[in-house]
Amino acid sequence: MSSNMIMLKSSDGASFEIEEAAARKSKIIANMIEVECVDEDKAIPLQNVTGNILALVIEYCNKHIVDDDDDVATEEASEEEEEAKKKKVDDWEAEFMNSMSLETMFELLLAANYLNIKSLIDLVCQTIANNIKDKTPEEVRKIFSIENDFTPEEEEEIRKENAWAFG
Amino acid sequence: MKTDDLPLEPFGACLLLSLPEDVIAVIARFVSPRDVCNLSLCCKSLCDLLDSERIWLVQCEVVKVLPLTEIVQWRIEISSYKSLCRFLVDVVKPLVGIWVHQNPELGNVVYVMPGFLSIVGCRIIPQEVGPLGIQEAQVMWSPVFEIVCGLDGSAMFFLHGKDVNHCCCLHPGFVMGIEKSCNALLLEVEPRQEKQLCSESSDIETVLLGEKEVQFPFCKLPFSHRRNLLNIVTSTNGIPLPDLSSSERLFPRSKEDEAVLLERRTMLLKMHKFGGDWNHMNLEDECTNIPNQVDINKLWRHLGFGSDLPNTDSGNQIQGTQKKSFSRYFTSGIKHILGRSSSSKNSSSSSMNKSSSRSETRPWNLQRFLTVGDSIGLSLKASNIKLSSYQGWPNIDETRFALYKLQIKNPVANQEYSGLWGGTFGWPPGKCSEDKPGKALFLLMLSYKESEDGSERLLIGTKILEGTHYGMHPNGSAMFVVKIDSPSFEVFPFDTNGEEFEHSYAGEGTSKGYGFRYPGYKPGTLYVTSKGLLMFVWKATKVVLTLQRLDLGELLRKGMCVSPLPPCLNFVYLTKSHTNVFAPERRRS
Repeated sequence: MSSNMIMLKSSDGASFEIEEAAARKSKIIANMIEVECVDEDKAIPLQNVTGNILALVIEYCNKHIVDDDDDVATEEASEEEEEAKKKKVDDWEAEFMNSMSLETMFELLLAANYLNIKSLIDLVCQTIANNIKDKTPEEVRKIFSIENDFTPEEEEEIRKENAWAFG
Repeated sequence: MKTDDLPLEPFGACLLLSLPEDVIAVIARFVSPRDVCNLSLCCKSLCDLLDSERIWLVQCEVVKVLPLTEIVQWRIEISSYKSLCRFLVDVVKPLVGIWVHQNPELGNVVYVMPGFLSIVGCRIIPQEVGPLGIQEAQVMWSPVFEIVCGLDGSAMFFLHGKDVNHCCCLHPGFVMGIEKSCNALLLEVEPRQEKQLCSESSDIETVLLGEKEVQFPFCKLPFSHRRNLLNIVTSTNGIPLPDLSSSERLFPRSKEDEAVLLERRTMLLKMHKFGGDWNHMNLEDECTNIPNQVDINKLWRHLGFGSDLPNTDSGNQIQGTQKKSFSRYFTSGIKHILGRSSSSKNSSSSSMNKSSSRSETRPWNLQRFLTVGDSIGLSLKASNIKLSSYQGWPNIDETRFALYKLQIKNPVANQEYSGLWGGTFGWPPGKCSEDKPGKALFLLMLSYKESEDGSERLLIGTKILEGTHYGMHPNGSAMFVVKIDSPSFEVFPFDTNGEEFEHSYAGEGTSKGYGFRYPGYKPGTLYVTSKGLLMFVWKATKVVLTLQRLDLGELLRKGMCVSPLPPCLNFVYLTKSHTNVFAPERRRS
């Protein structure tokens, strides 16, 4: 496997060097590489992603590039090894998501969406969903600092309309 | 939210609102409809954001009861994906599955499956299968009930039945609440009250009286009253099915069915709205009459209690205002009832008179039940009731008009044989001798259980349907019980027919014992082949029962629809019987 390096440039001017294989996790960048509009010594400018978020994206991609390589090599790996590996990735992902604030999480999600990295979109969406799942509106409001602008009557009306989902 | 105070806006709502719809849809995939509804209760902008077709389409998939292609197909005849999701959550998910009753002993299996914007309850008739085996057989079934989804996701109930002239009828009714964890499906009669919406308009709104308003619920009435009420309602509210190709088409079989299914759906919606006059109406017409129900005053006389429901003088349960509303309603009510065939009414009232002598002495509870409304109609309720069971088979109350859900487990690791199996006696499968062209179809539920002393795991094959002419063993009894942890060393006694045998387990199979209720058990072996067949072989007699996994939905879709029994019997058969009461040839005579 080649270890071509690619330069990425964030919206605030920070440059990052990344392995091509890792960068290919982003469908957008992969497409750019396919059509050969990537100049060897020129950085790819990413208008919508700030440096601190891009650093997180790269951390994620680097982590997962290794795993993808392993997939091919360890086809004969035992089920237990496979499971252990999966657990290691899960643990890393949990730790990765845990380490950031809610605000960063949303910025990361927008960046992942812009760069079209499906597995990262899924990971962040799952984490956000966990903050919504099985929670009352009061709890969700607290987590996301949402101000309730319904009157009690309006709220009751919506509850009634959606009664089927609660039963 | 006003735009001018945007900087003061809490960032959280803003964060969720900043996401593009694609991304919101990804989040929606990880949460339930309940979570989405809770999220829309947070603030107005989220409420607006989540009121999107995209998100509710995802939610329809999340419910996991209907494939995406059908979700999209159903959307044509419904106001939004949210309404569709309501029907899927409210009706489809809790009810889809296998429902049973103890009687007749040959088996009473009703498979509830998605139809077209509906669910349909199909009874699998005890029957024989032809020489090509089950997969090629045209399985006979008859319709039991349907619940149709309205434009707004509401649910409409129809009981299927045959009237005294052997004409197939639909009996419209209301769905009175489906509990998410229901295990009993109850056919009941519900009092209703009509309200004139305003004095100038002729619109009449039916108010269903929920459990709160009904002082004396149907389920507490004595059996004879419940039976009489159900018979009266079903003998008057049946709407004959027209002789159309669409009448029998309850679910799609091929892509070209859509026009036929749409035609049938329109018919059902009209029947529910207009009753027997449906054919002369358009769905947009206003309903001026109250269809599909029985006036209570009329009913009172039907039951043999004098000419009118007792008024305030004879019982303080009835208030003056209610008495007034009875008489106001009386004229339009009776007009409607007289529209129905008089022959069916006569037959039902004569049978009623016989049983009314006893109830006449204690009409008080019946009166309490009836006095809350102006009329009564049919209803379906799905409740979670306390239900004991033995080896996975529910202990069934034989005085209730109810079907019971069979808790069929999906195969999982370590319990890979769980689930529904079907088969016949004989080896090799699918071949039978010339003098016996058909073989009795058996349906079995396989489940796992610890043995009583807790030392070993047992696999139990519970019989839920047999296609013989006379039931030899009780419905719901075990056909075989094997010890799943103790291998058998018996060799399969016949030619293997090209099958590779993977496992064999020692156990016991049912045999003649001390009378019908207490079958005996004799040693045998369960064999498992690589192609997934199960064979239980009785050691002494070398009789083979061969089983395979079945997809009931698939079998019913290509099966043959036969006409139902009279309405109440068609829902549940309460009389003990060892013979095939559902067989079409028996009913024709």
